[in-house]
Amino acid sequence: MARVVRHKDMNWLERLYIFEACRGLWTTLKHAARGLFRYEQLPTISYPEGQPEIWNSYRAKHRLMLRPDGTPRCVACGMCAAACPAKCIFIEATQSDDPRIEKRVMRFDIDHLTCVFCGLCAEACPVDALRMDTKVVSFEHRTREEFVASLYDLTSWDPKDYPDDALSQEAPGGTRNAEARKIWGMEVK
Amino acid sequence: MIEIINSRPWIEWLITIAKFAFCFVPVLYILLLIPMERRGAGFMQDRQGPNRSYIKIPFFGKIRLLGYVQNMCDGAKLFFKEQFTPSGVNKFLYNLAPAIPFAIVFLSPCVIPWFGPMVFEWGGSVVRVSGSILDSEIGVLLLFGFSSLSAYGAVLAGWASKSKYSFLGALRTSATTISYEVCLGLSLMGVLLLVGSFNLTDIVSWQEHHVWGIVAQPIAFVCFLIASIAETGRAPFDVAEGEPELVAGYHTEYGAMQFGLFYMGEYSHICINSFLISTLFLGGYAVPFVTTETIQAHMGGSLSILCGVLAFLVLAFLHLLYRYSRKLKKTNLTHKNVVLREYLLYKICGWVAVLVLIAGGLCAWFLFNPSVSFIGGETVYGIGTALGTALIHLLVLVVKSVAFCWVWIWVRWTLPRFRYDHIMHLGWKIILNIALVNLVVTAIVAKLVGGN
Repeated sequence: MARVVRHKDMNWLERLYIFEACRGLWTTLKHAARGLFRYEQLPTISYPEGQPEIWNSYRAKHRLMLRPDGTPRCVACGMCAAACPAKCIFIEATQSDDPRIEKRVMRFDIDHLTCVFCGLCAEACPVDALRMDTKVVSFEHRTREEFVASLYDLTSWDPKDYPDDALSQEAPGGTRNAEARKIWGMEVK
Repeated sequence: MIEIINSRPWIEWLITIAKFAFCFVPVLYILLLIPMERRGAGFMQDRQGPNRSYIKIPFFGKIRLLGYVQNMCDGAKLFFKEQFTPSGVNKFLYNLAPAIPFAIVFLSPCVIPWFGPMVFEWGGSVVRVSGSILDSEIGVLLLFGFSSLSAYGAVLAGWASKSKYSFLGALRTSATTISYEVCLGLSLMGVLLLVGSFNLTDIVSWQEHHVWGIVAQPIAFVCFLIASIAETGRAPFDVAEGEPELVAGYHTEYGAMQFGLFYMGEYSHICINSFLISTLFLGGYAVPFVTTETIQAHMGGSLSILCGVLAFLVLAFLHLLYRYSRKLKKTNLTHKNVVLREYLLYKICGWVAVLVLIAGGLCAWFLFNPSVSFIGGETVYGIGTALGTALIHLLVLVVKSVAFCWVWIWVRWTLPRFRYDHIMHLGWKIILNIALVNLVVTAIVAKLVGGN
């Protein structure tokens, strides 16, 4: 069904153009005056020095969450790799040392040159191990290999950067780590 | 050579050199207009405009001169770029064409009165120096003649490039320029009728003693403004370089400084047209509500008022700077300390300027004793008064013309481009008719009221 949008005809004053042009000039004059007298109110950010504000739900670079003892929470189920539409996640599993856990990851690579940042991997993760909330939006490296984030890259984050997130604080260095480690250790016995 | 130099007294040589110096005013305006256009366009589009290039100096670090350094860099880049000539062009005309609009830059300002005629007492005799380089009776016509010549640059460039786009652009440019020259001339006629002279100095002194042209001839002013925007080939009348249809118009095949010459020619055309418009309709060098005689009678006071106005402007600039520094300190920009260090230099310069201006104003108020002599029943002041008057006149003219240059930039970044037939329609069927009717009405009224 085609939808017909009927615009109102211009009246004779508008068709004269000169008055409407003056209105337009007034608008641009206001903007120019703002730039001159209220420079800091310009919506443009002077980029590399000032960074844009990134909200928490923004899908940025990945990170792997950690258990209280510092091992990745990932159980190498491969669901993220299966869900990935760009096929950029490479996982190799190996036997876990912990008797409670079946598998652990030996290799967990995400190729950020191929990644489309759709967030399906974080959605697919059954143990909330993979997240995309690092707020890292710029990727600068010299070689293609460096764009592939390894297990070390993905797990080396600081709990201090996520003060409001409870699960992040359970990782080593976090505020709730001692408490969580106690619970984690109790389950062993 | 020595005989030629000896043939005139040194003061005449000095005046000749000064006249040559005034030929370069449009070139200086280019230096002003390009940053004004780029940052102004940025502000109108809610951008910051080019502000990244810097010069590094010892203590103050990266000096960006409010974005001015970017234009110096761009100019240097254009200047040192290879001049590329496409194969198949007419070499001679291709290389000649960019020089034409730029050569006219030096010719056109010759009739514009930069200040009122200087009359002063020198060595017991009265010296008269005209305010324009060439005090001609056909002033305006000469100016129009010169500015029409710039169409040759476009036509030759378009033809010599042997490119379809250039050719079409040249055709459009020449058509627009020639059509709007007619409107320009006709809308001007009302003022000329009232003044009764083609001489620009006469026009200004008429406005000084009666009313400004914009009050006497408001319709002519609007027609003249629109026609002169169209004549410079700027937006919204820039169909000649309409990039959706023709790549860049008549200078498509040009690069490096040859393109730069076209670019600078366009800006200086704006400059000359705004000088013309402020001379014809805004009283030129005349200070609003004050006659030249009053200024000359109270020279010290006038100079100190001038210093006061300038000091106020510098203080306003300092206020903006301090205000923005305060805001900048609160942000978390990583380069804010560098910027604040840079602003420190501007603040120091600003305060020094304020002090110098206030001191100058006070000196002018208390210490300036103009020498007055009566020669032939006429009050004649000394050279100091004459130079002071000339300075005030020149600054007033500069302020008026810069305001009009801003109109050009403002219109360009506001209004969308017209279609080609709309431009011709506007020129031939609307503005020309309005100008003609205005001329007839002015003539009848002038005859009935009993002017000249």
